[in-house]
Amino acid sequence: MKANPNIDELLCSFVDGELSARQQTEVQRLASRDPEVGRRLRQLRNCRTLIGALPRAEAPGELLEQIKLAVERKTLLEEQPVSGVSTAGVIHLMARRLVAAAAMIALLGVLGFVVYQIVAPIADTGVQPVAHIDKPSRMEPARPGAPTVVADSGLSGRLEIRTGTVAQADAVLKRAVEQNGLSALVASDDAAGTRTYKLVSSRQGVGRLIASLQSIWQSFDGVTLQIEGPEQFAASVTVHAVTPEQAASIVASQNTAASIETARNYAVINAMARRTPGRDILRMVSNDAASVRDLVTIDENVRITKTQAETTLTPPQGEPNVSLTIVLLHTR
Amino acid sequence: MERLIIKYQNRIFNVVLKMCGNSDDAAELTQETFVKVIESIEKFKGRSSFYTWLFRIAVNLTLNYCQRQARTATRSLDAENTEPDGTADQLLRDVLSDDRAVDPAMVAQSRELCGLAMDALLKLEEPQRAVVVLRDIEGMNYTEIADVLNIELGTVRSRLSRARGNLREILEAMVNEGESKHR
Repeated sequence: MKANPNIDELLCSFVDGELSARQQTEVQRLASRDPEVGRRLRQLRNCRTLIGALPRAEAPGELLEQIKLAVERKTLLEEQPVSGVSTAGVIHLMARRLVAAAAMIALLGVLGFVVYQIVAPIADTGVQPVAHIDKPSRMEPARPGAPTVVADSGLSGRLEIRTGTVAQADAVLKRAVEQNGLSALVASDDAAGTRTYKLVSSRQGVGRLIASLQSIWQSFDGVTLQIEGPEQFAASVTVHAVTPEQAASIVASQNTAASIETARNYAVINAMARRTPGRDILRMVSNDAASVRDLVTIDENVRITKTQAETTLTPPQGEPNVSLTIVLLHTR
Repeated sequence: MERLIIKYQNRIFNVVLKMCGNSDDAAELTQETFVKVIESIEKFKGRSSFYTWLFRIAVNLTLNYCQRQARTATRSLDAENTEPDGTADQLLRDVLSDDRAVDPAMVAQSRELCGLAMDALLKLEEPQRAVVVLRDIEGMNYTEIADVLNIELGTVRSRLSRARGNLREILEAMVNEGESKHR
């Protein structure tokens, strides 16, 4: 008999006892009448008997313990964040984070200290703050009765020259003012041994004047340039141990902002040079005008040689927007 | 839970072993079954009996395992391919004979015959093997099988019918192969 899926399913269900009583009776009647159906029923029963007679395997004896261990392991892993043991872990982790944060803060502190050591003033060593943003405190106040010059909206500055020979420096400065066609209000304080020149001119004019002082600059004990911009810049910059090239470059910059920026750069450079162990070498290098010119860019119109400065009588060109106070201080 | 494990561990292990054909894998799958049952016991809503829910987990794990491994088809029980000797060959012919009914005790006593039956069972496709094992080895009724496998009752009926037909063909092929070897 050709296999009929429906009959096979019916016989299968009959063998498994899954038919209703009426269906059971019908199949029994069919099997008794049809030998082929009876044969297929026996085949199905034998097949079922064969599989059903397979020996029953028993689970390994240690299965229960293994299950317990596996459950415990999983429970520990999953409950770790809320268990007592895990709380210690969280605390440990938090402590590590705090230590890391503290280390980071300490590192920033050290870094800040190093930066402060570079930028901050060094007291009582003759070295002044290289740059500060507050109002100038080391500038001498204007003396009563001294001629005053009102600065324009451009740059104003104060050049303090410390020298043991004020008279010689005064003579050179006076001649330089005249040679550069400038006019200055001069005041003197014999008791203090100071001479003060106040002048207003163009950037080029002031630059030339400073360049004219190059010949005696080496004889000065110390030169400090402090410049201030108009209020919108809200800044003053002090450059210690300024060289004539640096001073001229600062004054002759294109505008006030550039002057202040240039002054800041020189302030940092000079401060670093003072803190560098081989600063003498640096000073020697920086005294080389060519090297300085390589280091900083000075406008062509302020790169004036001594000869040029002495022979040039051309009045300054440009808008008089630089107010410069030159103070000659006697070194005691 | 411990009592439940003790109660069902042998039955689960036996069903899993007959489906995967390797005792080590069967032990591991049985363990995994009970761990999963313990983990998700809260999800058991009682819509079906615990018995069918437990076997559903075990069978699903085993079927997934078989699909992953894809090697169970070539495995015999404990990795031994049973070569039918003369006695087993004759017994198998008797089983396949439609003249008389087979004595279950006689089948159980023949290790070789059991090996052949196991080989034939492992040659079935996994879904068919699952219904045969659940019905003929675990002794579930069709409703329970449908519940465990999450299939329709009619699907159980047709799948079981096809599985037994295929099983018989496999066994007949084994007998024919044995006869040709003995010649």
